[in-house]
Amino acid sequence: MNAQRAFMVWTVLGLAALVVFVASLALGSIAVSPLRVMQALASRSTDVIDEIVLSLRLPRALGGFAAGALLGMAGALLQVLLRNPLAEPYVLGVSGGAAAFALAAMLFSFSWWSVDVAAFTGAFLSILLVLGLARRELWRGEPQDTSPRLLLTGAVIAAGWGALITLMLAVAPENRLRGMVFWLTGDLNGVAMPWTALIALVIALVAIVPVAPQLNVLLRGDVAAEALGVRVVQLRLRVYLVASLAAAAAVTTAGTIGFIGLVVPHVLRLAFGNDQRMLLPASALAGGLAVMGADLIARTVIAPAQLPVGVITALIGVPVFLWMLLRRAR
Amino acid sequence: MNGLQLSQLTLRAGKRVLIQDLTLTFAPGELWCIAGPNGAGKTTLIAAMAGVSKAASHAISLDGRALTAWGASELARRRALMPQATHDAFSATVLGTVMLNRFPHLTGWGWETDADRAAAHAALDTLGLADFASRDVLSLSGGERQRVALAATLCQDAPLLLLDEPLAHLDLHHQIDCLEALSRWVRSKQRSVIFSCHDLNLARRFATHALLLDGAGHAHAGPVRDVLTPERAGAAFGYPLTLIQQDGHEALVPVMRQRQP
Repeated sequence: MNAQRAFMVWTVLGLAALVVFVASLALGSIAVSPLRVMQALASRSTDVIDEIVLSLRLPRALGGFAAGALLGMAGALLQVLLRNPLAEPYVLGVSGGAAAFALAAMLFSFSWWSVDVAAFTGAFLSILLVLGLARRELWRGEPQDTSPRLLLTGAVIAAGWGALITLMLAVAPENRLRGMVFWLTGDLNGVAMPWTALIALVIALVAIVPVAPQLNVLLRGDVAAEALGVRVVQLRLRVYLVASLAAAAAVTTAGTIGFIGLVVPHVLRLAFGNDQRMLLPASALAGGLAVMGADLIARTVIAPAQLPVGVITALIGVPVFLWMLLRRAR
Repeated sequence: MNGLQLSQLTLRAGKRVLIQDLTLTFAPGELWCIAGPNGAGKTTLIAAMAGVSKAASHAISLDGRALTAWGASELARRRALMPQATHDAFSATVLGTVMLNRFPHLTGWGWETDADRAAAHAALDTLGLADFASRDVLSLSGGERQRVALAATLCQDAPLLLLDEPLAHLDLHHQIDCLEALSRWVRSKQRSVIFSCHDLNLARRFATHALLLDGAGHAHAGPVRDVLTPERAGAAFGYPLTLIQQDGHEALVPVMRQRQP
């Protein structure tokens, strides 16, 4: 991997994302030509088509892109931090905390924005909980290869949230159940302009891309990385915070969309190698591309009815991941 | 004052004293073997000398400066550490893995230059791994993985190498090849190598000096043949040894145990 090859990967993924983005704005119950989409984006007129493109489809496409990009990057980061190919953005309990609080907000029928606030609060609490319990692994002590403990801590917390979620689903009244299940699967329906997620995406990229060379070294082990001049403890804390906050922002925007954070980094690794300098921006682009594309399918395949986007990502993600896993075993 | 100095270094594992008040200088041009029974503190000492475990860093100095006064990246260009084991979770090429050790030399946006690639190829050549460059690290055997890790350490281009059991998992032939490569490497530019090792005979043949730990705080250091003697090594390992000689070759062998009647 060198800079030129990485630029090529990013350019190809970026162009593909652009194509899906325009398609997301153009396709749906009323098809609009790409040219008309451009007009709608450029002008500020307010006929029905402009309204559909700008107020309904644009926030949804951008929300999908931002959530997918955050999940792709968070997945790649946690796979490095835990040195575990099965790690994904939700493995340390961030999404569990978000879901438990979001469902509670829905259960007590708070307004839609307070569901988002509740989700982020839950994610943040979960992050603090892991930080406190796994402090030796994350931000204290000397570099040592302790990832299994961090993984177990997060997994147990995630299991605890899971129990609370099941409890709430069990006691929820019928009329709220559907919305709660959609939220759990990941749903972009009715997303407002996703400023939080877009800003979080920019912050995450700025915080993590400059340390990508260090992350390559971190994969060799904490002691090896420290001996190569990496401040391992600070780096691990930074990776954990960026990955968790990225996952929190994604979940707050779009619910717990599955499989993107697990599969996207692996597909890119198989295709282009495991160089974090290339992989982190590429995971963001490809994750955004995948969720935008999956949402396009989710709202067109049985239109006018809509599926939760998480169903499509999981339905495509499961066979892709199994295929990769079995291929590698050979 | 070139080289690595320990001044009154004490290392503990929990309450157990591994090394007590050790004062010692490792000079350039020397190839040191650290020997001792399991749990005697070889790995702890090597990590401390590399500056990875900060607790002991004030008692260790490199080129006359305490390890605490070194910047992380200049230290990484001065000394390289090969940990006892590395675990690869993801596929990567051997060349890419070896080149990771060029990290302290990277500048700008952190991409390797042709010089870094050349250094990685040269390190692979040194250990007879030229054909392995494009192999996947996950497909390597234990011994091959160990040689790749050693090549990575050489590729870091630091004048002091700290190697934790570099010969583990290697067959006899490759053990000797690696030790010969390290001897040449030490002699060519007045560099130094400190490695831990369980084969006292290979150590006697290739090392210039030895540090023998007994795990109870005592240590003997000096020219290898003065330290790895049957008496001292036998006492440290808690098993009687004897030196046998034939055709100018020497070997330390365990004394046969008296059979129980």
